[in-house]
Amino acid sequence: MIKKEIIDKIKKKFEVEGSIQRERRVTVKIAPDKLVELCKFIKNLGFEHLSSLSVTDWPKRGIYEHTYHAWSYKDKILITIKTEINRDKPEIDSVYPVWGESAQIHEREMHELFGVEYKGNPDLSPLFLEEWHEKPPFKKDFDWREYVRKNFYNKENERERIYFEEV
Amino acid sequence: MAVQPIWIGDKMKTEVIPKIIRNMFSKPITTRFPYESNPIPDGYRGEHSFDIDKCRSCSLCSKICPNRAIQMVEVPAEYKDKYPKKYPKIDLGKCCFCALCQDICPSGAIKLTKNFFLSTFDSSDVIKDPIPTKEKNA
Amino acid sequence: MELEAIGKNEYELFFGPAHPGSGNFSVKLKIDGERIVSARADPGYLHRGFEKLMEYRLPIQNAVLSDRICVLEALAWNLIHAEAVEELMGIEVPERAKYIRTIIAELSRIQSHLIWYGVLSIGTGFDTGFKLAFGYRDFILDLFELITGGRVYPTGYICPGGVRRDLPESAKERIPKVLDKIKKMIDFVKAENPANIARLRDIGVLKIEDAIRLGATGPVIRASGLKTDVRKDEPYEVYDRFDFEIPIGKEGDAYARFQICLEEMEQSVKIIQQALKSLPDGDFIDKRFSKLKPNMRIPEGEVYVRNEVARGEAGIYMVSNGGTNPYRVKIRGPSFLHLIPILEFLLRDAQIADVPAIYWSLNGCPADMDR
Repeated sequence: MIKKEIIDKIKKKFEVEGSIQRERRVTVKIAPDKLVELCKFIKNLGFEHLSSLSVTDWPKRGIYEHTYHAWSYKDKILITIKTEINRDKPEIDSVYPVWGESAQIHEREMHELFGVEYKGNPDLSPLFLEEWHEKPPFKKDFDWREYVRKNFYNKENERERIYFEEV
Repeated sequence: MAVQPIWIGDKMKTEVIPKIIRNMFSKPITTRFPYESNPIPDGYRGEHSFDIDKCRSCSLCSKICPNRAIQMVEVPAEYKDKYPKKYPKIDLGKCCFCALCQDICPSGAIKLTKNFFLSTFDSSDVIKDPIPTKEKNA
Repeated sequence: MELEAIGKNEYELFFGPAHPGSGNFSVKLKIDGERIVSARADPGYLHRGFEKLMEYRLPIQNAVLSDRICVLEALAWNLIHAEAVEELMGIEVPERAKYIRTIIAELSRIQSHLIWYGVLSIGTGFDTGFKLAFGYRDFILDLFELITGGRVYPTGYICPGGVRRDLPESAKERIPKVLDKIKKMIDFVKAENPANIARLRDIGVLKIEDAIRLGATGPVIRASGLKTDVRKDEPYEVYDRFDFEIPIGKEGDAYARFQICLEEMEQSVKIIQQALKSLPDGDFIDKRFSKLKPNMRIPEGEVYVRNEVARGEAGIYMVSNGGTNPYRVKIRGPSFLHLIPILEFLLRDAQIADVPAIYWSLNGCPADMDR
């Protein structure tokens, strides 16, 4: 089976265990300093299309969890790669040398919304938000209710009171 | 690249002119709204109608509304002995007409009707109290 | 549009968000005479923060919210969100609900391609195409009003567990009549039009290696020559039981994308006709969900679901940690890749008069780029 062969090839070179979740889904966990090597290796196996990358914030464990999803047009399998980095000083190598501009634009969005520094990304300028001076807005400890109440709440309007004062 | 001109003399006689004459004598496709209108199907999601005798004051409609458009309030003093509990007050300006309150109500007190003529010049018409207190001027 | 002289022979032109037909999206162009030197996309006018909004609401409330991710194909985004929640909770959808969902998703694809055809025609000067497309789209919106209750926003018709209401009896007679009208319209506009050929051929050529590196999906990469479609590679709902083809182009220019738009509409009509013939009887929603309960918990886990919406490949990555709301939702929209890297790449060394043809042949929706 193709999924078993891919897991065995990765285990021989990098010594990490992969797992099969269901049809057409394979997952691998790896340390952040070997990430770009693993991505180059699987791109040579046929995983040419980076479908998406995202960041999950776990404040109790103190980490940011990165997830990369790549799809192979030849074998029709999706592989998921996960790494963990420190939450207070988030830095990681960029995968721009592997997958090109489709990775660069996803990393630009994650830099703006979560505050992650990508070393090697040519362009990390702001994308959606203009003149934003607070902390990155998608973190779990950004209190968006306080922000809206300070800047936009009009106390004389009775219909807005239901959103800010518990009835 | 060079584009060839198309000679359409024959087409004018066989297709275009008969079509023009046929269109002159057939029924127009426009519907003259608001004097006549297309039929509105059942299940259309319009304005709410509330039947206070069926309401049990469980406040499930207030918990499920995604935009917090329903608030539970008490009725004015002259009806208080007949209706002692709290009843829903709907703010149509916040409502998105999703009909979740109609699906969750266990006794069928809130229903959505077919009325969509809701625009108004008076901004206090937007709030619907459980017992309507104000008489609207025509 | 504003012009500023910058020292040399170059001017900066702002192809702005209030331009009719560009939607809420703007591009900054640096031009030299009539030739564009470089382009820079400027997104962010419609950023509403969906990924953070969905963390504070129940799954049934998120189903109402999910049809505003892209208004032009609201039912397709309802479907992908419902599939993600069902896979996390381990729910099995009844057969009749799967057939109804497939019929509605294909009707939504036809209606979205009619908007694409209309806007591309009016951008290159063919006014009649715009009026034909939006006139025939009205028949499909009347069908949606009969089935779901609203013309444009179905507010969560496809919810986790099945569909919210059953298909009415009169819909089964009305759908074939609407499909006949649409087939007649497609046969009428398929004829070769010299104006379209002169305006669209050899404009905005995208080769296949560039398309894979820049992240193109959907009709854009099929026009460049790669044979791929999520409905055939990873079948979801009941697509593996029907017989349909995937149209593929060769040159990768705007005329190839325009021809794929018309041929995909014909294939969708074929799928709906086959589905209506074999519609089974039964329940339309799973038994646990027929009465709404606000306190259902989602078990721990994570899932990544891919679907084929009208514009390309859509994806939702959902993580849950055991509560009633999802913990993290990441939405991958196809227009995010089509409108920022690919547009900047194609607009280099183009003429100003070709900007509408290139931009509208990519079929980007600013709402699902910003989310």
